[in-house]
Amino acid sequence: MPRRTRPLLAALALAPLLAGCFASGGGTDATGDAQDGSRLRVALAFPPAENLSPYGADSTILSRLGVTEGLTALDANGTAAPALAASWRQENDRTWLFTLREATFQDGSAVTPAAVAAALTHATQAEPAPAALAGVTLTAKTEGSTGVRITTGDPDPVLPLRLSSPSLAILSTRAYDKKDDVDPVGTATGPFELTKVMGATAATLDRYDDYWGGRAQAAGIDVKFVADGTARASALRTDQVDLAEAIPVAQAATLDKATREATATTRTTSLLLNTEKGAFKDAGLRAAARQAVDTSAFAKGVYEGYADAGVGIYGPAVTWAAGKRTEPVGRAEPEKPEGTRITLATYDNRPELPEAAQVLKQQLEKAGFDVTLEVREYSRLESDALAGKFDAFVLARNTLVDTGDPISVLASDYTCDGGYNIAQLCDKDVDRAVAKAEDTGDTAERQDAAMAAEARILGTDAVVPLVHQRIITGVGTHVRGALLDPYERTLVGIGTRR
Amino acid sequence: MRGQVVTLLWRAGIAAALVCAIGVLPWLSHADPALTVLKARSADRDPTPEVLADIRAQLGLEDGPLHLLGRWLDGLWRGDAGRSWISGSEVTPAVLQALGVSLLLMAVALAVAVVVAALICARTLWLGAHRRLDGRRAGGSGSAVLAALPEFLTASVLATVVGVQLGWLPALGWYGPQWTVLPALALGLPAGAVLGRLLDDLLPGAFAEPWALAATARGLPGRTVARQALRRCLPGLLPNTGLFVVGLTGGSVTVEQIFDIPGLGRTTLQAALAQDLPVLQAGTLALVLLAAAAAGLAHLLARLLTGPALRDGALPSLHRPSPPTHTILPFAHGGLLAGVIALGLPRDPLALDTAERLKAPSWAHPFGTDALGRDVLARVAHGALDTLLLAFAITVATLLTGVALGLLPRLTGPLVDTVTALPPVLVALLVTAVVGSGTATPALAVAAVAWTPLAAHTSALLRQERAAFHLTATRALGAGPWYLLRHELLPAVVPPVTRHALLRLPGIALALASLAFLGLGAQPPSPEWGLLLAENQPYAERAPWAVLAPAAVLALLGALAVTAASGARWASPRTKAGGGVRLGRRRRRRTEPVVPLPEQPSATEKMVKTG
Repeated sequence: MPRRTRPLLAALALAPLLAGCFASGGGTDATGDAQDGSRLRVALAFPPAENLSPYGADSTILSRLGVTEGLTALDANGTAAPALAASWRQENDRTWLFTLREATFQDGSAVTPAAVAAALTHATQAEPAPAALAGVTLTAKTEGSTGVRITTGDPDPVLPLRLSSPSLAILSTRAYDKKDDVDPVGTATGPFELTKVMGATAATLDRYDDYWGGRAQAAGIDVKFVADGTARASALRTDQVDLAEAIPVAQAATLDKATREATATTRTTSLLLNTEKGAFKDAGLRAAARQAVDTSAFAKGVYEGYADAGVGIYGPAVTWAAGKRTEPVGRAEPEKPEGTRITLATYDNRPELPEAAQVLKQQLEKAGFDVTLEVREYSRLESDALAGKFDAFVLARNTLVDTGDPISVLASDYTCDGGYNIAQLCDKDVDRAVAKAEDTGDTAERQDAAMAAEARILGTDAVVPLVHQRIITGVGTHVRGALLDPYERTLVGIGTRR
Repeated sequence: MRGQVVTLLWRAGIAAALVCAIGVLPWLSHADPALTVLKARSADRDPTPEVLADIRAQLGLEDGPLHLLGRWLDGLWRGDAGRSWISGSEVTPAVLQALGVSLLLMAVALAVAVVVAALICARTLWLGAHRRLDGRRAGGSGSAVLAALPEFLTASVLATVVGVQLGWLPALGWYGPQWTVLPALALGLPAGAVLGRLLDDLLPGAFAEPWALAATARGLPGRTVARQALRRCLPGLLPNTGLFVVGLTGGSVTVEQIFDIPGLGRTTLQAALAQDLPVLQAGTLALVLLAAAAAGLAHLLARLLTGPALRDGALPSLHRPSPPTHTILPFAHGGLLAGVIALGLPRDPLALDTAERLKAPSWAHPFGTDALGRDVLARVAHGALDTLLLAFAITVATLLTGVALGLLPRLTGPLVDTVTALPPVLVALLVTAVVGSGTATPALAVAAVAWTPLAAHTSALLRQERAAFHLTATRALGAGPWYLLRHELLPAVVPPVTRHALLRLPGIALALASLAFLGLGAQPPSPEWGLLLAENQPYAERAPWAVLAPAAVLALLGALAVTAASGARWASPRTKAGGGVRLGRRRRRRTEPVVPLPEQPSATEKMVKTG
């Protein structure tokens, strides 16, 4: 019999070795107690890039899963709402006093002013600085037993908005024990507590029972990070997950109608025209390009209805924008393109963009332009785009970047000193309008000023808004209470259950 | 022994050069690593100078590539491959974990490939065992079609149909044995088809060898003869199997993506795009080591299978008597292809109409429409010329390179498996860094990889051919090395390698398209076939026709290439009447017959029979 047992022994010896070759699923069984709520299974689109560091893009993952919170949060109207801070008031143009609510960290310690001040100080010292703090100096000091006084270097009228950024989440002192590494496992304040992170493939979360806002209905969350959109859709269809984030438009039709939830987002896809060199230096040709574009073809034909036709820089997800919009100021008369050659660039990380670019090419060619397309992976394209090497660029841009403040996107994208000025726009009137908006403190006035600046920018025809995207979330039919948020900052909350 | 040491040194040299090349890649290609790393960490973050400066300081980029490389190598010496530039976590465990996943996937895929290859050869083996091979038609086009199917298509179909609609097997993730089946099928089917075709190509020759005759005459059972014939042919395939193993470990990105498998292919692709050098270097090193191990293993197995015969020059030549070939099939395939192209050419491949998107085939659009409402038939037809010309040109170039380099196995062996092991994207990046992104770059990048299986095949055949004793005889008659090469070796090696090259032609068209996202190669809205496949892939389930049409013409092209190639066998001068070796006088110039010669006994057989 030795000849027969040998393969068996070999197989036994191989088994643990093979087990090491599979991914650990994070699969604590999804049953749970009936009255205690069952666990949610979630497929997220972006795997953690930096070990769930709270200072980079991974902070969004933490905030979407209800792990971390900041002092403030964004409400549906895009204004700051209380979170860990119960209230706040502005003491002078550089100082704000935040009053904390009674809350505890997931490691059991209390949320004290000292802990909050320490967390914010750590964030200001991070390198590179969190996006919400770019160009901002900030000091946080304790004030009494519940107060935190925050002083900014320059007057900052949007500080409460800024503090809602997921990258300024408050973690307990234990999170900062290691020198370079901030550890959000069991140190945050949200309704769910990270218990285990399996690299970039999966994570497990348990309910945090002592959450200040009440006990969550789901017992925990099993997260899988699935980068491929088709795979996320398949996971939902085969009932492997209850919630699947960011289903690509192309896959939406394969999902049951009842499981597709479309939410308007603050992402706007627009055509940016290079105002500094090449054909579109000429405002008349820019106007001709703007006239040639038929935005309805994109919303319906390319985005299959999961988008709204472009009306401005801010779309319908920015709820106050539509009511305050004014006509673009100072538009030039369109000229005849007469075969002007232009290059139109875009990237393929979002599959709809190359399609949109091809539709655009046809529309522009019908108007008399001669268009060459250039499609690359984004990181291979960005530096050329910023250097102004293309005449036109199709870009999907989140208009409430990082801070939730509508002005910062205008400043970075359309002013002379802007860091992300693909249109290479440098216009005195635009700069003045944006600067005025930046200095306005009152929310309503600030919004008015933002719309005035938008009208100025649209007047230059440096940007032609094509569509305002909707994001499609796959929500299993048995799931209730998923948070579908236009700012893409929340997904699972205390009321989410299945 | 000395030879082996030299080979080992050469191999180590290649690996070292590669790691160094990767270390200076960003500086060669002028793509700022701080920027690519930032984008990999956070796609929405604006690249302000302050952020980039912080990242540069964090990664120590200011010190320059040589310093960084030195530090990495120093760490490697102590088993520490550094920390990822993106995540800051340790590289070694991450890469080892991904390698384990990839190896397992590859092993299961290999098993699938073996089964597929066995099925393809079953008929030949059965006929051979019963000595009924004479007059048999050369292998059908079925395997060629299978070999030409793009991986992503089989993967998508398997995931959608078997995984999602039927729900028989899990379609997503990598958590246990049942998760391995579908991805392994997607990888193993085309690879098995290629290996099966190659084996099927060799088997009739083995069955025609005198020992097989003798064995049958002695009354040995057909099964035994078939087994020995298989054993006789396998060494010629082992190097290619090794390459398959190595290539799949780092190169199965598409399948890893579709099934969400955390393998080495995706890891290195992400690292290559983000220029996360420590991960890229470690991943490459692991793949190169794997390549060396696989090559060594293939070598050893070949030794075991043919052992002393190879050493002592006692192998009969594996030339099969030219079988009758298809006369109709190539014309049928060619006609069909030409018909499709002729029908589509009058249509407009670029006119898009989003109201007509994803329409099923109808009279107005015989092949349906794509996601932008363009006529798929028109796009297939208009893309044909570009695709075919370029892919054919690359095939010819790689065939010449492959054969030429395959003649120097000592030199190219290690090079071949190292290049195969590299993820194709990395090769493309390296090529772009060296020659810049011109119009010829994509062709060069594809050719830089595509010659390797041909060279490996050439070397393997050559080894056998050198060991054949008709060569000893020819040598004994005074033939010099050049004479042997021109009149004995090349004629034996070139025809099967040519057929092999043609079999890979559709793959080259696909490889060209896969580079488009680096900004290399055809750009939309060009109807190049690879691009057609890529742009319609997301719609594979909703509008299968938009993917199936280009896949079908590619498969047809594969079938055409294979059937036409088996019609154009190189009739070896050695098999001329008389069968002897003519030395001392200039050979008559003779045009190579395109039509295969009727079966004639080879010199070897004659010698065996008379001796």
